[in-house]
Amino acid sequence: MNDFVIEAKQLTKIYGKQKAVNCVNLHVRKGRVYGLLGRNGAGKTTIMKLILGLTSVTSGKVAVFGQNIRGREKRVFPRIGAIIETPGFYPNLTGTENLEIFAKLRGTAAPGAVKNALEIVGLPCKDKKLFGKYSLGMKQRLGIANAILHDPELLILDEPTNGLDPIGIAEVRDFIKRLSSEQGKTILISSHILSEIALLADDIGIIDCGVLLEESSMNELKKRNSKYILLQVSDVPKTSLILEREFHTKDYSVQDEHTLRIYDTSLNMGEINKFLVMQNITVTSSGLCNDTLEDYFKKITGGEGIA
Amino acid sequence: MLKLVRIEFTKLRRKKLLWLMLLSAFIMPFFAFLYFCYFGETGIEPVAFYKWSAFGFTMFIILPFVLGMLCTILMYNEQRFDMLKQLWIVPVSRLGYFFSKFFVVLIYSVCFMLITAIASVLFSVLPGYVVFEWDSIFFLLKKCLEIALFTAFAMLPVLAIAAVQKSYIMSVCVTLIYAFAGFFMTPINMYIHPLSCVSVIIARNGDIPGLTLPQTVHIPMALLCIFLWSFAATLFAMVILSRRK
Repeated sequence: MNDFVIEAKQLTKIYGKQKAVNCVNLHVRKGRVYGLLGRNGAGKTTIMKLILGLTSVTSGKVAVFGQNIRGREKRVFPRIGAIIETPGFYPNLTGTENLEIFAKLRGTAAPGAVKNALEIVGLPCKDKKLFGKYSLGMKQRLGIANAILHDPELLILDEPTNGLDPIGIAEVRDFIKRLSSEQGKTILISSHILSEIALLADDIGIIDCGVLLEESSMNELKKRNSKYILLQVSDVPKTSLILEREFHTKDYSVQDEHTLRIYDTSLNMGEINKFLVMQNITVTSSGLCNDTLEDYFKKITGGEGIA
Repeated sequence: MLKLVRIEFTKLRRKKLLWLMLLSAFIMPFFAFLYFCYFGETGIEPVAFYKWSAFGFTMFIILPFVLGMLCTILMYNEQRFDMLKQLWIVPVSRLGYFFSKFFVVLIYSVCFMLITAIASVLFSVLPGYVVFEWDSIFFLLKKCLEIALFTAFAMLPVLAIAAVQKSYIMSVCVTLIYAFAGFFMTPINMYIHPLSCVSVIIARNGDIPGLTLPQTVHIPMALLCIFLWSFAATLFAMVILSRRK
């Protein structure tokens, strides 16, 4: 049995003639924050809607907590908290009244669940301000409060920081981090803001034009994209030996028969060059490379960067 | 279901229009009062007064229109503010969602007709046009409750159509057409339009003077018509709601 809370296999959604989601294989592991990164219109929201059974799957399948989602699964959905697009509430009611409605619908028994959820997102309880008069940021906070109201095991958050001010974004980010680290919640979060995903996610999926181009852990990706010394030499095996014996590092990777990447950037590049030359190894080029996640995003999506 | 109905009432908080619409229950009793005041008649048959105050335009036009407006109000916010997906995630069943709204319409309809009944008694007995009799009051209450119950069922098609509309104006237009169609269909064929069928059921014993029916009264046929329209409306609403995501 695997530990995937969400597992999508060959998930496809076609609207008319347009493939909104194309053969997506997505794996969200238990207790992890999975960041779905992509430009606007890339298919992030559609994937989330498919997971929540809000739109029908054209082909492929998606399982949540090991159960295939066909419609609105009564056993699975109470374990999920979600915010999809801009959260809508009743404009003639206050935030507390709106949450009380959802608490009743969900049968949330915990006393003070509404108050607790509002406190977490920084909204006042029993406030007289009607939802119709809320700012965009307040609406977003209330949406998050509604998603966490029933203490779900899985949170699906579609661009949850939309409309929040910088302090609000930082607060929500910290809160999501805490939910994952302290309470072991599994979180699927989508965003078109790369820095947000980079700061939050344990695992990342990069989506473009409905296709999931990359799925890996953030550490793996950072390793791939962090600073490194790129060495092009005549003899890679000999160079590897020198790095391990003379420079005491194993933090490098062999790219091809002439190229090495040294991830330990604390090493002195000049000394490495000098030493290699002294050992009759020709150094064709050496330099410090500084690939960012954005560079990587550009590279794999084959286009413009992302904010 | 009871929980869903209670929640539906919570959603209607601070909707002043609902209270204003209830005031329209006084319209026909007041006009009946003016009518008999103009002719200066006293000691008239209670049913003659109630025919004006409760069994005439109230039954054919005012109540259907008010209930149609209520259907629109009940559906409108959730359509406009894109709330359905939040409800489906909970998850709320589509059938439960639709029928919770229907029960609100039914309760509102009962309240409306009770107000009409009370207003009819007040406007008829207090000025002395009608002599106070328990029998006639029970008759009025019975008929008002029948009207409330069957008209609520007859409005299910409007509730289903309100689930499709994202605009207030369209829903109000549909309600008007539906209410007037029922009124004008009655002399032609009483067993096609659900609202015509309501009038058949109400006037079945011929105990409302002046309310004459052009065809033979056939209660099972009237009930079947209301049932078929209600069933079709429910099916239609289920299809529409499953597409609204």
